[in-house]
Amino acid sequence: MRIAIAAEGSDFGASVAHRFGMSPYLVIVDLHTGDFEAVTSPGAGKRGAGMQAVVLALSKGVEAVLAGYCSPVARRHLSANGIEVVSGVTGTVGEAFEKYKRGDFQRSLESESHPTWDGTEAKPVTFTRALRNSLRQFTALFPVMISVVLLVGLLNTFVSKSILVSILSGNAVLDALWGACFGSVFAGNPINSYIIGGQLLANGISLFAVTALIVTWVTVGVVQLPAEMAALGKRFALLRNAICFVAALPISLLTVAVFNLIAG
Amino acid sequence: MSHVTRRSPQKATRPTLLRGTVLFPVSVLLIYGILFTVLPDKTWLALKGSVAVFWRLLLPLGLVFVVMVAFNLFVKPGQIVRFFGKDAGVKGITLSLVAGIISTGPIYAWYPLLAEVRERGGGNVPIAVFLYNRAVKPFLLPVMIAYFGWAYVGTLTFFTMLASIGIGYLLSFLIKGNR
Repeated sequence: MRIAIAAEGSDFGASVAHRFGMSPYLVIVDLHTGDFEAVTSPGAGKRGAGMQAVVLALSKGVEAVLAGYCSPVARRHLSANGIEVVSGVTGTVGEAFEKYKRGDFQRSLESESHPTWDGTEAKPVTFTRALRNSLRQFTALFPVMISVVLLVGLLNTFVSKSILVSILSGNAVLDALWGACFGSVFAGNPINSYIIGGQLLANGISLFAVTALIVTWVTVGVVQLPAEMAALGKRFALLRNAICFVAALPISLLTVAVFNLIAG
Repeated sequence: MSHVTRRSPQKATRPTLLRGTVLFPVSVLLIYGILFTVLPDKTWLALKGSVAVFWRLLLPLGLVFVVMVAFNLFVKPGQIVRFFGKDAGVKGITLSLVAGIISTGPIYAWYPLLAEVRERGGGNVPIAVFLYNRAVKPFLLPVMIAYFGWAYVGTLTFFTMLASIGIGYLLSFLIKGNR
């Protein structure tokens, strides 16, 4: 069994760090052999440090985390993955390790309640909690979705079918290209692409264009490109978006061709 | 145990989110307001058309809510981290594909985590597969099926999942080739 101890230094003599996410090191110790390795904590001092430390603990396959303090969010993720969280730990890494081995710590498991940042209690996912979360997600989805529906009403009334159809050539590849361009520029919840796509289809726009729009709506993101470049690198982000844009064309052609075969 | 006062990440991002979710609806309402004063009859028709579209969406939206509750009940965000495949083998790709499908929330929230996964040994293929499969949204299927039917949705979902793997490998190949 391996445990992770948030530490100020890279050995057993180092002090246990006060905060799990902000600690400079995680000392990973094998409980049975006493072998240890010190890993530099990835996000120390950065935004999202807690989550990065969670990923590190998960990737190291530890079964318990010891720290002075562990944020409720990090604690929830660790507990959800079956990792025990022991907070309120002081002294050196060596002392913490020995204490844990002897079972001296009052262990805080998922079943216990923990204060969150706003003072409320973080609880395991119950039906009521799932219902509340879903209601929150659902209501967050509504303002933009209703606005899209209102725009569709305007489109249906003010833009005639003949104008819409005349924009697209009737050529499958060109239609898919137009759809892909449209979908790449817009972003947001894919439900909006279904509503827009469904109405465009009803107005005589080809399924090739609609399919390319739906595919690129999520897979290509011109709006979120800067964020993707910052996180995953410029080359990765640019190449991924370019490939996804180009791939939308054969995907839409194949999808419509196979669908027409199935539908007869 | 002493508690450290810290700023909530939710609170920190709330003003930006608010701007994003409010600006678009307010703009649409403004357009309606202007059109109502200029062309009241036609705008009234547009509003009635929108209500008809909304009624059509009610039943699928109800199903979306049911599936959403089931996801929130059984899928924990932390599990997706463990689900994430690190290698470009069959198991790694399959896990990344499933992780992409069951992941929820805005893509911005996933970027730091994906960057971290890559730093910890996750290759470009699983990350690209994950990102592409976010287009497959099981909890939105009722709406998609209501508009396009089972056969179309099934076909598109199949090709999306298949393409994600090809795109992942192509991307990885091109990135390696550029180095």
